[in-house]
Amino acid sequence: MIQTTIKEEDGNMVAVLQGSLDTAAVPETEKAVLPLYECEGKDIIIDCTDLTYISSGGLRILLSILQDAERKGHDVYIKGVSNDVRAVFAMTGFVHIFKFK
Amino acid sequence: MKYDLDPHCEMLMQQYRDLRPTLEKLAQEAYSLLRQELSEQGIYVTAIEYRVKKENSLAGKLELKGAKYKTIQDITDLVGLRVITFFSDEVDKVAAIVKRIFDIDWQDSVDKRKLHELDSFGYNSLHYICRLKEPQLPNDETPNPTNDPTRQIRFELQMRTALQHVWSTITHDTGYKGDVKIPPEYLRQFSRLAGMMELIDDEFSRLRIVLNDYRRQIQSLVKNGHLDEVPLSAGSFRSFLDLQPFRRLNMRIAAVNQAEIYPASLMSFLPVLESFGFETLGDVQHFIDDNSDDAYQLAISQLAITDLDIVSSSTALLNLCLVHVLKSGGGREGLKAFYDIINGETPANGMLADIIMEQASILSFMENKS
Repeated sequence: MIQTTIKEEDGNMVAVLQGSLDTAAVPETEKAVLPLYECEGKDIIIDCTDLTYISSGGLRILLSILQDAERKGHDVYIKGVSNDVRAVFAMTGFVHIFKFK
Repeated sequence: MKYDLDPHCEMLMQQYRDLRPTLEKLAQEAYSLLRQELSEQGIYVTAIEYRVKKENSLAGKLELKGAKYKTIQDITDLVGLRVITFFSDEVDKVAAIVKRIFDIDWQDSVDKRKLHELDSFGYNSLHYICRLKEPQLPNDETPNPTNDPTRQIRFELQMRTALQHVWSTITHDTGYKGDVKIPPEYLRQFSRLAGMMELIDDEFSRLRIVLNDYRRQIQSLVKNGHLDEVPLSAGSFRSFLDLQPFRRLNMRIAAVNQAEIYPASLMSFLPVLESFGFETLGDVQHFIDDNSDDAYQLAISQLAITDLDIVSSSTALLNLCLVHVLKSGGGREGLKAFYDIINGETPANGMLADIIMEQASILSFMENKS
């Protein structure tokens, strides 16, 4: 189960992901993060402090957000990643593609 | 504003004032056409400037030599454009384009680069006096004369290098072209400086040609597989990556979970390869050949127990580097140092190093290395 909250904070767009971003949670998460594609002039912070698991589908969502932000000249930061989730980024080779806070 | 002009010059000034809107339109049109053409031809310049001569500047000119001009249209720099290039050979490229898009008044145009005497200073630019071309009917090369006043007025177009521009600005600023006659010893110093700047301009152009030739040589060596002869650098590594040297290993790793390979830049790994002491592309190729099987084993020891079906195209190189560090006896600290280069220093790199140490410990290449 996943809960996604989008908010503005200190001039940035923040997406808080809580729970497990497994394959089943992908469709609702894709809908929930749509505001991130509509923002202009703001960096994006994905707060993964309470994210317990990320699947390939979850990685694809983050990659899509990153591609869109790069096209617009913004940065994407991933914050508060647990060891398990960081290991997923590492073994798939994405750990140096994202910026981590 | 009142100027101290005789009646003839007052008439010329009034003609200028009446013509002003046309001059603004001409300046904008000439500038837009030139900018667009340079862009389409892929010529990047440091600046394209334009201006309509200000009234007080015209008044100064008329005070000095107003009698020379019958009508205001005799003055060729009411509108001025300037193109500032990076290199001296680009001035001629810009000139070739200008000749194509504008009509040139060859009688009044001058190449000031050739004008100065051997014993005097002078480091100037190419000046063309131009007109906008008449519009052409479709499928017809014959210009179609119109009554458009912007086509009647000539404008000045200067083309110079950045160094020529600096020279022109500094000498103007120091007042050497001013009212006071400059003593010969100072003239000689200006002349020496002009000569040095001309040498620098020529040298930049020469170096650019030399570097382009060098790049082509490197690309050829890489393409023909002479990797041991190619020093490792950003340029050569980029050429090497065009050969997709990590593709086979990436596909082998991705096959474990039938994963999609997401394209990623590998240039950030160059400092890592340099830190390994690799000096040529040959060294990098040997590193791939010697470690591919072990890198595959390390990668699948992590991925095979998951259902992750997307991996970055950096996965192969990442695991090759990890294996190289471990086989060289780098241990946990070596792995952390590798992640510090790739990810930036962060405490989490220690955790990543621990995970790799644990997973690699059961692999065959780690025997006798714990």
